[in-house]
Amino acid sequence: MKRIAFLLVALISLACAAAPATRPRYGGTLRVVMQSAPTTLELPGLNAPTDYWDIARLLSLVGDNLVKIDAEDRPQPALALAWQHDSASRHWQFTLRHGVKFHDGSPASSSAIAQILGALHADWNVRASGDSLNIDTDAPIPSLLAELALPRNLIVTRNASGVPLGTGPFRVVDFQPGKSLKLAASEDSWAGRPFLDAIEIEFGKSLRDQALALELGRADVIEATPQAATTALRIRTASSLPVELMALVFTTNSKVQDIHLRQALALSIDRKPTQSVLLKGAGEPTACILPNWMTGYSAAFSTQVNVQRAKVLLADSRQPAMTLSYDPRDPQAQLIAERIALNAREAGITVLVSLSGADDIRLVRIALPSPDPALALREMARQLALPQPVLHGNTVEDLYQAEHALLEGSNVISLFHLPLASAAGARVHDWAPDRLGSWNLADVWLEDSR
Amino acid sequence: MSFRQKLLLLFAATILLCVAVMSVSVYGTMRQSFEQANQDRASSVAAQFRSEFQRRGQEVERKVEAVAASETVQRIALEINRGASSGAGDTNAYPSEARALATQQQLDFLELVDRQGTILSSAQWQAKFGYPEPAIASSTGPAGAFLKREDLPNGPTLGLFAVRAVHIGEQPLFVIGGERLDQGFLSTLDIPAGTRVLLYQNLDPKWSPQSLLDLNGPAAGADRIGPLIEKVRSTGQETHGVIYWTADSADAEVFHAIPLIGQNQQLMGILLVGSSRRPLIELQRRVISTAMLVGGAGILVAVLASLWFGARVTRPVVSLAQAAHRVAAGDLAAKVEVESSDELGELAASFNRMTEDLLQQKDRAVQAERVAAWRELARRLAHELKNPLFPLQVTVENLMRAKTKSPEMFEEVFQEGTATLLAEINNLKTIIGRFSEFSKMPQPQRRPTQVNDVLRSVLRVFQAQLQANNNITVRTDLAADLPEISADPDLLHRALSNLALNAIDAMPQGGELTLRTAVAGSGEPGARVTISVSDTGSGLTPEECARLFTPYYTTKQHGTGLGLAIAQSVVSDHGGKISVESTKEKGTTFRIELPGDAASAVAAAPTDAWKN
Repeated sequence: MKRIAFLLVALISLACAAAPATRPRYGGTLRVVMQSAPTTLELPGLNAPTDYWDIARLLSLVGDNLVKIDAEDRPQPALALAWQHDSASRHWQFTLRHGVKFHDGSPASSSAIAQILGALHADWNVRASGDSLNIDTDAPIPSLLAELALPRNLIVTRNASGVPLGTGPFRVVDFQPGKSLKLAASEDSWAGRPFLDAIEIEFGKSLRDQALALELGRADVIEATPQAATTALRIRTASSLPVELMALVFTTNSKVQDIHLRQALALSIDRKPTQSVLLKGAGEPTACILPNWMTGYSAAFSTQVNVQRAKVLLADSRQPAMTLSYDPRDPQAQLIAERIALNAREAGITVLVSLSGADDIRLVRIALPSPDPALALREMARQLALPQPVLHGNTVEDLYQAEHALLEGSNVISLFHLPLASAAGARVHDWAPDRLGSWNLADVWLEDSR
Repeated sequence: MSFRQKLLLLFAATILLCVAVMSVSVYGTMRQSFEQANQDRASSVAAQFRSEFQRRGQEVERKVEAVAASETVQRIALEINRGASSGAGDTNAYPSEARALATQQQLDFLELVDRQGTILSSAQWQAKFGYPEPAIASSTGPAGAFLKREDLPNGPTLGLFAVRAVHIGEQPLFVIGGERLDQGFLSTLDIPAGTRVLLYQNLDPKWSPQSLLDLNGPAAGADRIGPLIEKVRSTGQETHGVIYWTADSADAEVFHAIPLIGQNQQLMGILLVGSSRRPLIELQRRVISTAMLVGGAGILVAVLASLWFGARVTRPVVSLAQAAHRVAAGDLAAKVEVESSDELGELAASFNRMTEDLLQQKDRAVQAERVAAWRELARRLAHELKNPLFPLQVTVENLMRAKTKSPEMFEEVFQEGTATLLAEINNLKTIIGRFSEFSKMPQPQRRPTQVNDVLRSVLRVFQAQLQANNNITVRTDLAADLPEISADPDLLHRALSNLALNAIDAMPQGGELTLRTAVAGSGEPGARVTISVSDTGSGLTPEECARLFTPYYTTKQHGTGLGLAIAQSVVSDHGGKISVESTKEKGTTFRIELPGDAASAVAAAPTDAWKN
């Protein structure tokens, strides 16, 4: 009996000793390393997709949207606690969270938010009314909630130095363009003070350097390729749904204006070996813009290679040599571009992979901007410099028709939908990137916080 | 051209010819030797490169063997065999392994290929996994290095490859690795000074200048080497040729074109080993310039020696010529110095003997002539004096006889006899006067003289005599444009009077006396005035003509034989000459030629006088 009692005491002691290790701790600085090197903390315009989504990811730590859209395309409250709209979806009323302040201490009142959104959308009529915010539009906007959840609609103001001031869990302490960003915990965050004292983000590190830094304990959170398999026990990887589109985009000044040549190039690309070898099986070969998990119709867009058909298409068209460029920061991009050039050669198409000179085609990656299909299609069309899609309804058929129409001009050749992956060190706790790839660092705490 | 000049020219021409023949011969031999040396040098360099090429091939083989033995390749070979045995997927690809291995072994090309010839990993074109590698079909064993065309993203290139098979299990894994055969490969070759190496990558069906590489990339002046490459491309055989880059032959290069054969005996490339001709050409030029300098100096020395030797050789000849000239001018005392005992010395001695003989003969002739003249003089004196002496003797005897035998007639006889005596004495005085006059011939007192006037004066003297003898007619043919000459008109009158008197005497039965003047070579420096006096008398025999001008020789019964001698003396003193032409029974013509130029006449007078 004594022996049993002793064992029970010992077990209880062990449990008590282990308990602090699993309880969140305040403090510590999270070291994050990124591949991109933004020189500004403002969201860029068109045709800068990589920086766009990286800056959006950084700004999401500083600011909040009125609403959020989860992975199931469901709106979730953020700065707005509740909302309602008329049947035509032209008049929207949002009930704002009370007592929210910007990082400089100024209140994030309805009027301040109305001023920010009004400046972003000149075609909207944004009015503050007490704790409510009214948005009136001439045209119906059924997806206004998804629109408000986009990074460009973050409620962020700026001080005299241009430093973004938001209502998010972290505030900007120091920004070295292209080098680093230091964030500190916002004590007055409406969501409560984050566990971390600070986040130090280092820019411009390749994925190889990031992996090395993580292995050596010099970084806590890094970006990773979806196919990167780490064998380190103390490193965890997380992969999202395929939310990133890898595609070939014909530039505006491309000398390849012959649609037959573009179609022949699309037919000559054998996506499967690239996906299985270069991407290590990650991602999905695709010929459409939106991922299959979002639409379910991607099988309707064939990814089958057909060199013979490509040669037939080329029979009566001129075949100038094309220059294909890629993002040199992307570790897979060069190999994938060379594979595409090799495939094209089989069909008799000359594609030169080069980073110098004017390019005819670009190999790009574009992150899915929103879980909302219609909004995502519109945003991606904007990012790909395609005309805005015409959606006649909210059905999948309408979406398919719109996307099909977008791809008819063969200005874009979709290749793969890739997941976003990241990795974190062992001292990082409660690190749970969501299915769309967001880091959610506000809930992260460090085991050996310093 | 003098004999010395001819001799000098002959010597110089001979030396030049010898030097030229020797130069051509030496130059030809030297050029041939240099060409051969150059060819040998280029061949040696080409052989060196063949050896180097072979060494590089062995190096590639070693590297490929090292790759085949590496842990990575062994692991991949094991994996593909496991995959084959388990029937696992067909997507065996290792996109990055080959590059790492290639970097490790410093290979430009490296591919891992499975049994079907499918590329599993490619260092040179990482994206090429899954594509076939045709080289494996023909090379599966540990053969030597070979050349192969390799397609790269930026175009085809040429490489030196080797293949090794890794056998782990049933499925072999092939390792095919190589080095790029381009300007980088050329830069690693040990190139001797004065040579360079070009590489033609025979990757296109047609001749492509861009495929000709040197150390810096596409070679300049590819078009000039093009024919040599085309020759190798068409024949597949090694060849060589000289490429002249500029007009200067020193800039030329000898190229050895070595075909580089790949698998299936395909011509994959051509290695061109260029050897500059500059060192040899410059050496050749130095030799030639030295030879020319030495040859020129030799010619100069030879010419100077020829001058000295010619002068030495021709000096006796020149002396002989000068002496002969003096002899020809009448100086029989001319002597030549005998300086040697050779033929020229003997010739000089003979010449001296000849002149001595001539001088002696002349002296003897003069002596003989003098004796003959004295004899003739004695005869003429005896004859001339005997004629008056006989009447004197008869007259004196008549006076003596009359005194003794007929005193009454003595007075009459005396008168007649003294008259005869006086006449004959006068006659004797006349004879003596003539001889005295001949001995006292004066020197001509020259002045401008019109010969026609002198002739007319002569005719006037004989006018009375001619009128008395009606049988002689006088015809004058005097040149109207006869120039004045420098002469003594009195002496000329005397000479012409003698000729006219002889002509009149030659025509006792009458005839025609013709006086004629003419100008020979009018207007020229050597113009001469000719005077001819002709008669139509009985003429003279050739023997008479030969002795006609000898003093005291006469064909006339009462002549002194001094008239023509005086005439000849006068003509000679005027630098002229007198001749006679006579035909028996037809007449005789005396022709006098006098120099038209007074000055030359004076100067030439002694010589011409001696000649006549």
